[in-house]
Amino acid sequence: MIKFKLNGSVVETDALSTVRLLDLLREEFDLIGSKEGCGEGECGACSVLVNNLVQNSCLIPIGALEGAEVQTIEGYSQTPQYQVLNECYATSGGVQCGFCTPGMIIATEALLSKNPNPTEEEIREGISGNLCRCTGYNMIVDAIQLAVKKGDGLW
Amino acid sequence: MVTKTVDSYHFDKLEETIAKLNEEDCTIIAGGTDVMVLHKSRRGVAPKIAGPVVFIDHLSELKQTYLAEGNLHIGACCTYGEMLEHSLIPSVFKKAIREVAAPAIRNRGTIGGNICNASPAGDMLPLLYIFNAKLVLRSFLGDRIVEIHDFIQGPRRIARQQNELLVEVILPDVVDEESTYLVFEKIANRQADAISKVSFAGLLQVKDGKVADARFAFGAVGPTMVRSLEIEKKLLAKGYPLRAEVLEEVVADFSSVINPIDDQRSTAYYRETVALKLLRYFLTSKELS
Repeated sequence: MIKFKLNGSVVETDALSTVRLLDLLREEFDLIGSKEGCGEGECGACSVLVNNLVQNSCLIPIGALEGAEVQTIEGYSQTPQYQVLNECYATSGGVQCGFCTPGMIIATEALLSKNPNPTEEEIREGISGNLCRCTGYNMIVDAIQLAVKKGDGLW
Repeated sequence: MVTKTVDSYHFDKLEETIAKLNEEDCTIIAGGTDVMVLHKSRRGVAPKIAGPVVFIDHLSELKQTYLAEGNLHIGACCTYGEMLEHSLIPSVFKKAIREVAAPAIRNRGTIGGNICNASPAGDMLPLLYIFNAKLVLRSFLGDRIVEIHDFIQGPRRIARQQNELLVEVILPDVVDEESTYLVFEKIANRQADAISKVSFAGLLQVKDGKVADARFAFGAVGPTMVRSLEIEKKLLAKGYPLRAEVLEEVVADFSSVINPIDDQRSTAYYRETVALKLLRYFLTSKELS
């Protein structure tokens, strides 16, 4: 049995310890916000927060999570920070097909929780592990800059 | 979702982990960023890892970084992210780490994992080679210290015995970064999350207009990092800036020791050309003049 915290609740699973967190989230817990793009840690679509750090859920064997705290986009969407990001991504046109968006939002949270006033370069580094094939990134960078202004004090 | 086939271990203590390795040949998983990709199955199916697995990245004993007798000890399970934030880690390593992967992978990938994966393109390896890194391998019998160039024997081939665990990386006699010119270069398709086509680390110390120390290592141009003490020695006591014929000789020497291949990331021709240009650029740096 592997026991860890998922979106605030303690969960247990008897799945094999080498199962990828991404598969566990999507198939056992029906949390399908985390997407599989490349499955090799290159696209960031599966990003989640583990102990408040952004990580690729496609690279995490669940056996390594014993006692850890995992937050997915579903859990994060219940926070006031998410509400700001949601609004700013929409206003700036930072969402087009939406496939990268959950991972992009998680990477944005990881960035802002560490650095509430990032420069444009720091924003681009913060989302450098997240591929978006629609926006060309500028609108996402705009969204994050807008969130820095609007979410003043939240991060 | 899946049928159980693999045993796995997740001990609270390093000691128990080492005792288990003495009983059974296990696949060791630190961050998992390489091993999970190497054994990847189709979507929804657990990676195909034969035999038992032992998880080590939660072990606090493997996350200590400290100075002892002038040597810097880095715990094998320190992640890139942790090294980036640690005050004792040399700044050239931090600069290199910023070119490695992206925040999400830096939060999982470990220095010990990068070494034991023994990729010809391993990102930390060129710097570890020029810093003369030593590795502490622990088994139930005690510790064994190995030089990194003896430990890494080829692509994914390392001199680790089944009952041993890499517990620490030691950087002996950490160089004074103020008086030393240190460089790390990585050439890849994309700035984030890319595997190197060529990488390079260089160290140069000049005293009274003469080369006092010179070290270089190249990544992704051979089965392991390429470093030549013989060529480095030739530069000692040479006047700096280097005379054209000295520079040409060093570049020509290196051209004969590096032996890249064509693969999906690049060609042998490109790799050799760029590697030698990086060396030339480094040796003619204006920073030291």
